[in-house]
Amino acid sequence: MKQLQIPIHTKTLANGLRVVVVPDTTAPVVTLGVYYKIGFRLEPQGRSGFAHLFEHMMFQGSENAPKMQHIKLINSSGGVLNGSTMYDVTNYYEATPSNALERVMWLEADRMRALKVDDENLRNQRDVVKEEVRVNVLNQPYGGFPWLDMPPVAFRNWANAHNFYGDFADLDAASLVDVQKFFHTYYVPNNAVLLLLGDVKPEDALTLAEKYFGSIPAGAAPPFADPSEPPQEAERRGHVEEKFGTLPAMAIGYVMPKRRTPEWYAMALLDQALHGGRAGRIHRELVLEKQIAVEADGGIDDIFGYNGPTQMTTRILHKPEYSDEATLAAFDTVLQEVQQNGISDEELQQLKVKWRSDYYSTLEGGRGGYMPRYGLMHLLACFTLFDNDPQLVNTILDGFLAVTKEQVQAAARKFLRPENRAIVFRTPINKDAKEAA
Amino acid sequence: MATRVAEVSSLVPGLSPERAVNWPKRTRARLPNGLEVVLAEAHSIPKFHGELFFRAGNAQVVDRAPGLADMTATVVRTGTAKRPSRKIEEDLRSLGADLGTSASQDTSAISFAGLSEFSESILQLVNELAREAAFPEPEFERERRQKLEEVKLERTSPGFLAGERLRKVLFGSHPYAQISPSESEVAAYKREDLLSTYGQIYTPENGLLMLVGDFDPQAMLKTIEATFGNWTGQKPSAKQAPAPPKPRGRRVYMVHNPGSVQTQILIGCHAITRRDPDWIKLGLANSLYGGAFNSRLVMNIREDKGYTYSPRSGVHPLRHHGYFSVSAAVRNDVVAASLTEMFYEIDKLRSVPVPEAELADAQNYVTGVFSMGLATQEGLLSQFSTVELNELPPDYLETYRDKIRAVTPADLLATARKYFDSANMQIVVVGDRAQIEEQANLFGDVEVYGAQGGKIS
Repeated sequence: MKQLQIPIHTKTLANGLRVVVVPDTTAPVVTLGVYYKIGFRLEPQGRSGFAHLFEHMMFQGSENAPKMQHIKLINSSGGVLNGSTMYDVTNYYEATPSNALERVMWLEADRMRALKVDDENLRNQRDVVKEEVRVNVLNQPYGGFPWLDMPPVAFRNWANAHNFYGDFADLDAASLVDVQKFFHTYYVPNNAVLLLLGDVKPEDALTLAEKYFGSIPAGAAPPFADPSEPPQEAERRGHVEEKFGTLPAMAIGYVMPKRRTPEWYAMALLDQALHGGRAGRIHRELVLEKQIAVEADGGIDDIFGYNGPTQMTTRILHKPEYSDEATLAAFDTVLQEVQQNGISDEELQQLKVKWRSDYYSTLEGGRGGYMPRYGLMHLLACFTLFDNDPQLVNTILDGFLAVTKEQVQAAARKFLRPENRAIVFRTPINKDAKEAA
Repeated sequence: MATRVAEVSSLVPGLSPERAVNWPKRTRARLPNGLEVVLAEAHSIPKFHGELFFRAGNAQVVDRAPGLADMTATVVRTGTAKRPSRKIEEDLRSLGADLGTSASQDTSAISFAGLSEFSESILQLVNELAREAAFPEPEFERERRQKLEEVKLERTSPGFLAGERLRKVLFGSHPYAQISPSESEVAAYKREDLLSTYGQIYTPENGLLMLVGDFDPQAMLKTIEATFGNWTGQKPSAKQAPAPPKPRGRRVYMVHNPGSVQTQILIGCHAITRRDPDWIKLGLANSLYGGAFNSRLVMNIREDKGYTYSPRSGVHPLRHHGYFSVSAAVRNDVVAASLTEMFYEIDKLRSVPVPEAELADAQNYVTGVFSMGLATQEGLLSQFSTVELNELPPDYLETYRDKIRAVTPADLLATARKYFDSANMQIVVVGDRAQIEEQANLFGDVEVYGAQGGKIS
């Protein structure tokens, strides 16, 4: 068995910014990322959707790079860029030919140092974000299902339960004062990690990091609200109308154990057993064999990328001739089978091989083919910000490969219980597809 | 050729000298049975990515039914003479492999990736799927019923409805007009049609096997010869298709989608295929217009006006025809304003030469992004297969960047005038009729369709 060993170089600057470098000369390309340890989970109350709106503002201008310059400078250097807001982190990243590295570092440092935006920028991006919500959620069949539908049903702490894309009234209420306050609270070097991957020498990368980021002043340690949930004692259910889609849908989410515990590793393999494509038990039973469902998929979303309560979620679109309860009963039968009989040695072996293979692809893979090493960057960032240990990239696989079948069965019994789950039913309001001529 | 200098503020660090872009060497072979093989090493991870292409797809068999090659591909993975469906899926998992079967208009394909240590077993399974798919009746029946639900569901997606209408408008009775079958066409699929499609398309003489990854090419070639060498079968004869219509003048096609809180705009006109000598210039023109974040359209209707989150333009090369399109999902009250800006930016590129500095920016963008494909096995596979499937010159990748950099403002003006056919752009809007009809009327005669595809008025 060939194991990958990623060479990782790290340094913490005097202002608290952590720097992680992975040299790799496969292509004359460098990927740079800055991750801030703040996501939509802990955005301010009364400002739902703010963390994401703020992410947009980070492209609107900084001290020396006014609006449009950031995007223009990256694209015109032959690079691509984007940002994304997740539960517990927000990232900004660029992939460019390696001759543009210094320019990209200058740009990222400039917007870490000082954001320079005005009301016009905020109005503009508020409009853009509303269209983003419409195109992804409000005007799409099954838009936001289940990632926006599930939290208010599953969780009781506002941090975990609110609308992460934002209620439009909250987006409208967001002001420039909020923007600057959020920036000065969370976007400080001591709450971030800078990642450099690809065609760069480690010593050069660390020198450049010092040169461009070293003089940015540290901020106060950011306050983080407590995201913990009160214990759940009964199954929770919720209902959402489906405005466009033709099939009844449901999502079933089970709260996950704490990350990096033995139970968490076991749940990851159980997830593979249940949701691993067409070989996964849920798809096989509901779609291929019983033929109740048209789609049955899901799992633990971004398993390395969260730092608070989360779920393993199954998403099912089923044929209208089966009731929600009949579909749920068939789903429950699949889980009971694992709880009662566990999994075989052979199945466990298959799951581990597939896990290892998928892990390698995560490390290599880009986003849409044009963001080399995005996966590796993401893991390094999360292991640095949550665990203070980027070297986990090289060792965490061992934890999954050490799971026993007894642990998988025990995890199924302990976590896949009705009292540990929430269910959202998304029901079409319009079952008749005929149109008025 | 050095990177061209873009206009930037004095504080911005300059670009250091470029490192060479070297595409990995390809090992080519043609087996005696006609199967073409292209192999390339890439050792980023201990895996490999591959694709077995056949040079015929839905267009080849459209006279029997639209989407038939796609349905055939779907059922290919559900059983062979040696392995039932469940065993195929479990074997894939035990080899750390992913596999997909699909068909587009012009190709059918089995794509796969897996751990290098199991490459022989994975290729053996691919070989079985390509040669010995059994099309078990119950599997076919399940997939057909599954497909029925899918074709109902896709009619609820604004993006699908817009794409479907534009293709019908641009391609008329040509097979490219059909992007998806109707419910009744799916209901009429027969197992025998799938079997004959399979027999006709999945042959070595019609095939191209590409592998990129962590392996030794010479050893891999031996494995391929041993695995696929005794397969036989001829290339299907090429199909004649009717010429697509040439729509003259702007017309508006509205798809009424009741309850829409946004309008999907899609406009388009005929363009060219990748084999056309103008292709590279058109790609650059598209990048400037709406193909990049920094492009004119995005800066205008997103970053300046906030009409939309997702504006973009694209050039779409099919094997025998190509088209250009522009899309954006916009607020209902700015449909006319968005269309106006789309046409303004098109007309500007058609009438005013692009400033040198902006051209240099776009050239750097296109050449830089092109090189990103070097970093991953999937990226390499995608670039290599583009060259092979379109039968582009063998040095296409190696010379592409220089060709981009040789384009002048005059070339771009000529390209925009030739292919951004402003006067004859066809306009599709998908939204709530009551909210957008008045705006749509401003851009030409309007035909209204329902989401099920029928003409309303």
